Amino acid sequence: MQPKVCLVLNNLGNFNRAWTQILRNLGIDYTLCIPTNTTTSATIQTPQGVFSPSSPDLRNYFRQFDAVILCDNRSEITSSSLINYSVFWMSWNAPEDPAFLFFNPHFSTAITESAYNSNFPSDFPIVRPNPSDIAGTLYAADGGSAGSTNPLSAAGTSGRGACVLFPAENIRAYVMTICNTHTNNIPYYWRLDTAKHSTLASTTYTHRVARNGRAGEILAVPAPPTSSEDTETYPADCVVAYRYRNIFWLPAALHRRQDIADDNNPYLFWLLYGLQLAGVRPRYKLPVQLETDHPLQAFSPGAPFNHAITTQMGILEASWDWMRDFARQRNTAIVNGLVVGTKYRLTNAAYHWNLLYSTSRTQAERDAAMRVHQILVAGHREGTTPCGVHDHTIGTNGYWGGSTAAGFVRHSGLRYGTPNDVPIERGNSCVAPHVLPAGVAPPNAIRVQVGDTELVEWEYTTSGTGTTFDLPAGSVHAARIIIESEIEEMLALGFPDGYCAGHRYTNTAANNSGGECYWQALKEFGFRGVRSASACNRNLNTKRVAPNRYWNGFHLVQEMPLDIYSATSVGFSWGLFHPSAPSGGDAVRYLSLDHSNDISSGWTTNPALAWRAYRRVLCMVTGRWLAATAITLGAAYFHPIQCLMSVSPSRVLDRFDGWNILNAANQPHYNHAVELLENMDAVVRLLPDVLYWGTITDVMDHRERVMG
Amino acid sequence: MPVRFLRNASELADVSWETPLPVQVANAKPVPADTLLVATTTVTTDANRDLLGSAATELPTLDVCGQYRKLVWFYFRASDAATTYRVLARATDHNGAPLGTGWQELATDTLPGGANSWGRIEIPSTGDGYYDQYRIEVRLTAGSNYSLTSKIVGVR
Repeated sequence: MQPKVCLVLNNLGNFNRAWTQILRNLGIDYTLCIPTNTTTSATIQTPQGVFSPSSPDLRNYFRQFDAVILCDNRSEITSSSLINYSVFWMSWNAPEDPAFLFFNPHFSTAITESAYNSNFPSDFPIVRPNPSDIAGTLYAADGGSAGSTNPLSAAGTSGRGACVLFPAENIRAYVMTICNTHTNNIPYYWRLDTAKHSTLASTTYTHRVARNGRAGEILAVPAPPTSSEDTETYPADCVVAYRYRNIFWLPAALHRRQDIADDNNPYLFWLLYGLQLAGVRPRYKLPVQLETDHPLQAFSPGAPFNHAITTQMGILEASWDWMRDFARQRNTAIVNGLVVGTKYRLTNAAYHWNLLYSTSRTQAERDAAMRVHQILVAGHREGTTPCGVHDHTIGTNGYWGGSTAAGFVRHSGLRYGTPNDVPIERGNSCVAPHVLPAGVAPPNAIRVQVGDTELVEWEYTTSGTGTTFDLPAGSVHAARIIIESEIEEMLALGFPDGYCAGHRYTNTAANNSGGECYWQALKEFGFRGVRSASACNRNLNTKRVAPNRYWNGFHLVQEMPLDIYSATSVGFSWGLFHPSAPSGGDAVRYLSLDHSNDISSGWTTNPALAWRAYRRVLCMVTGRWLAATAITLGAAYFHPIQCLMSVSPSRVLDRFDGWNILNAANQPHYNHAVELLENMDAVVRLLPDVLYWGTITDVMDHRERVMG
Repeated sequence: MPVRFLRNASELADVSWETPLPVQVANAKPVPADTLLVATTTVTTDANRDLLGSAATELPTLDVCGQYRKLVWFYFRASDAATTYRVLARATDHNGAPLGTGWQELATDTLPGGANSWGRIEIPSTGDGYYDQYRIEVRLTAGSNYSLTSKIVGVR
């Protein structure tokens, strides 16, 4: 049985393509319909004809689908019409009717159309929002503070916080949740008519989506606080998701208009949850996986935490031990881009090789770093923490980040290392073999293949046998030298390979995958894919990835950072929030979560604000991670030590507990790795039909399956 | 021994130039065209931005396009505000490295169309392309910022 849904859009020209891309990725067939206008007199244009919205013909047409999804939504509640035509469908509740999914539906009392109001079910238990009486019909959410723009416009930043309790599953999860918004830029939850709900909850109702056999069901509510510090509570009649017979009333899921299907849709959890509730069982589940960059790194002790190197290593050791165990239990693999190049090139004592072996480090520091390293090596060999090359030493921006890598230092031995004399730059004469006259190419001519192109090259520059020279970055010869040196370093570190074991993948430094010559060389060394930005040789900025991110069988997986600091502002994050942090220096500042200064103002006097920051940060990063998982089939990652300095060194793995656990800067302790993974685990447990803990191999397999 | 096959359900025929083996084409695209880019660009006055929003002058909008004879740029513009566009192109070597800095300008003009109108521009306008990289820039010369939604199809 093939899952199939019907999307009712506002129009076919400018709807959010994420709707269809997510369905494509899940293997759910879809049909698009549009109304001729927003009122009850609209007709619905379907591929099988044009129907009146209240007609039996349309009802019969809808019955072929697992679910009908109302995609259109609005950011304010004063409109007199938007999806008025759908009011008739709220009464199509027979067992033969499909499930209807309404996201952020517009059903306010500002709708004056009599046909709408007279057909609105009298027993519908959610109070209709009244723009003249917002306080009496909606509950202001997430502190009730206004954003600088409408909360539904949040994309990669500026999100709102929510901890949601799902009573049937008995799971709490931090997922961005906005039921309605208004011109005041405040997010709202819904108010339940408890009498009507009580009646529905005791009314027997038979439909495949009525899992409790009742006509009404509360699906999700704001979760009650777990700490006395947290004073953000909601009345008992506050709900965020409800099932009315076969009608699912759900928070916002996707932006209203966004023509390209990008990853700026942090609310999409609700689409995935709605599909599952409606019994739309996808052909494919989506693999959830996480990556890190620089799994072993250190910073010179500095404000505000002033952690000694050994303390930093202790934080990493405890966190990596926990992450390795998490990966083992969930059957996932946390892929890590391990900073290489330091063995031969960069002398920065903060990077992996030098932390282990540089004599500028004390023996105690090297021993502490080795304990972290051994966790990574063991995890690589068992499949839980596979590591791959990640090279910031050719310039500072990964592959082809500059036209020339000045003072490049070669590795030793193997094929492209010293003392060999190898080509380092494209030849002046490069001729396709099939048009090369006999006798023209000299004896030292070589064959070079990049993608589909094979050429015979001569008059190329060679390295000589020296170890140091200026390496022109833009050729397959340079790429081979660089990548072989990286893998050689990985082997010297005790890893059996440099490409995350069987995954044959790595996350490139600065998300610079270079260009065709680097993709070719990576393929030659056994790689199947890498993580890459669209502009794939920043700062030189002369290259883009192939338009479909799949070059001659090589994956160029889109990146999604989950860090909580701006690398251009600070070396590491100052935590959830720190009153003295520079711009972008903490999670709240970096992710623009301080709406109307409702975190920064009163931070030291109102302990509830730490919980507000915690909710918003988790919702924001989880939303970004889900978007990478479901929309772009991309790769989400964070930098461990940069995001973990804010933990309490003596209680590294403790969960966030407001001001009850302080870090070295006397601010609330927060372990980004633990909190991020545990919250996503809650989401995965909530969505067993849609998500599973997988690996980057599963992601690449799935890309090949659905990208056509 | 000739190879024979069943033709017209009952007739046995020898394989020859005149009577080749029957084949059914599967999974073949009826049109040798690929969608290469779909993007919504905010058209501004501050710089020549490419369709992906970048003002970095050496950064291509599309790369690895050498197989395409022509690109077709479809767009929908939300405003009639005066806008110029430039289509730039260049070739790379087999490594993907541009042969030099800068671009060959294929076209520059005022972007046709009024508010909420559609447009179609062929790149290049005459002859074949086969360039490896293209940079397509737009810039507002008067009026307010607006959204330009584009789709670019590569034709082999």
